[in-house]
Amino acid sequence: MRNLYMIYGVIVLGLLGMSEYRGWSLASVNEVKNVPRSVRDNPGSYRSVYAVYHHYTGGK
Amino acid sequence: MSTGGPNPPSTPHVKAMNCPGCGAALNLRSFTQAVTVVCDSCHSILDAQDPQLKVLQQFKKATGEDPPLIPLGSRGKIRGTAYEAVGFQRRTIHVEGIPYSWHEYVLFNPYKGFRYLTEYNGHWNDTATLRALPTLNPYVGQVSVAYLGETYRHFQTAQASTTFVLGEFPWQVRVGEANEVTDYISPPRVLSSERSGNEVTWSMGEYISGRDIWKTFALPGDPPAPIGVYENQPSPFSTNTKAIWTIFGAFAIFLLIMMVGFASSARDEEAFQGAYIFDTSARGEASFVTDPFELKGRTSTLELSTTTNVDNNWIYLNYALINQDTGQAYDFGREVSYYHGHDSDGSWTEGSRSDSVAIPSVPPGTYFLRVEPESDSGHGTIHYEITAKRDVPQFSFFGIALLALLVPAALITWRSINFEHLRWAESDHAPMESNTGGDDD
Repeated sequence: MRNLYMIYGVIVLGLLGMSEYRGWSLASVNEVKNVPRSVRDNPGSYRSVYAVYHHYTGGK
Repeated sequence: MSTGGPNPPSTPHVKAMNCPGCGAALNLRSFTQAVTVVCDSCHSILDAQDPQLKVLQQFKKATGEDPPLIPLGSRGKIRGTAYEAVGFQRRTIHVEGIPYSWHEYVLFNPYKGFRYLTEYNGHWNDTATLRALPTLNPYVGQVSVAYLGETYRHFQTAQASTTFVLGEFPWQVRVGEANEVTDYISPPRVLSSERSGNEVTWSMGEYISGRDIWKTFALPGDPPAPIGVYENQPSPFSTNTKAIWTIFGAFAIFLLIMMVGFASSARDEEAFQGAYIFDTSARGEASFVTDPFELKGRTSTLELSTTTNVDNNWIYLNYALINQDTGQAYDFGREVSYYHGHDSDGSWTEGSRSDSVAIPSVPPGTYFLRVEPESDSGHGTIHYEITAKRDVPQFSFFGIALLALLVPAALITWRSINFEHLRWAESDHAPMESNTGGDDD
């Protein structure tokens, strides 16, 4: 059990090191490829997948 | 204990006699060393030292009532010595009116003498009488004894009576005979004292698996599965618990070093900053793009922070971080909302005026942001500032890693504690809140 825990710990720390080195994050981000260069001249032509946001009006 | 396969002695010493009670043939395996012998047929307890085999006690029990798991006459090697099973007895204690019985097997070797095997609910002990006396160590709360530098904690004291006998015994055995039996434990060993009048006999038992017993005596089939946790059963967790916490400590230190290392080596470099105003009353296209900015170094995080002046209001920002050269975009949305007020419970706040998010694994290159703000119309202007920082360490992963290391260590500790709880629940020192949970050993 000790050896198993040791191996498990090394894997956990290895993954941690890799996550930090590779810049992983828990944030949910959508990757989009081949966005046309024309976006710079016409920002409205790009439609975010997060557009048309339905806001929850918070507060008590 | 070392065990081996069956190894019958080259010359079996069996003395043939007849029971004076029923005339059945008696085989005296330990011949002159047996003090009493029990007739297999009529269960008369006979004086083995008497040439006429005087009947000491008539013992009326059906032979098949409690057949020994190790048939008398079976031979096997224990600690390198060949022994033969010559006697068998059942002993019973009563706890809160409930009888609990265990079995004892008398083993004999003509040169080494007697030793014993005990069995309770599938738990076995290899037992031999002590040649030196343990010393009593009374201390507050619980008595213990010391023997050969090891401390044994008091487990249980009970009146044990003999309720069934078969075969030969090196003492004057009687059915109904009662002794005070006290057990002290230091798993996998148990020290037992048996008091009969003024005489006290000490013995030491060592836990042994039923599988080893079966192998030693070449018994057919499988041994009965152990039920519950026995008093001196070695915990499969206790030795691991200390080692695992030591390993956990080493991992935690290494994790701390990693955290300091990554925090100090991270670039944490501001790549972009811009301040903007969103007019909630304005019509038309709200989206815009920022000036291009350079992200240097290896692939790493980009932390995007948004600071606003929202007051009982919200703003939602559709962000797209776009690589100017490759056209690859990281699309995400962030809401910033902040509300406050007073009610019957006093003042309250909800949300925050700022927000930050780490975009994962962004390769180096030239980027710009496309920003599209949203909010309820007619709420005036909202000022907001966007800051992008390159290569910011993500401490949340350190927390997750620490938790991932902690959970198995805590689980093993809990199982160890639970094992000891089950062990001591059957003792004279059971915890007050103990719940036997159906274990009846």
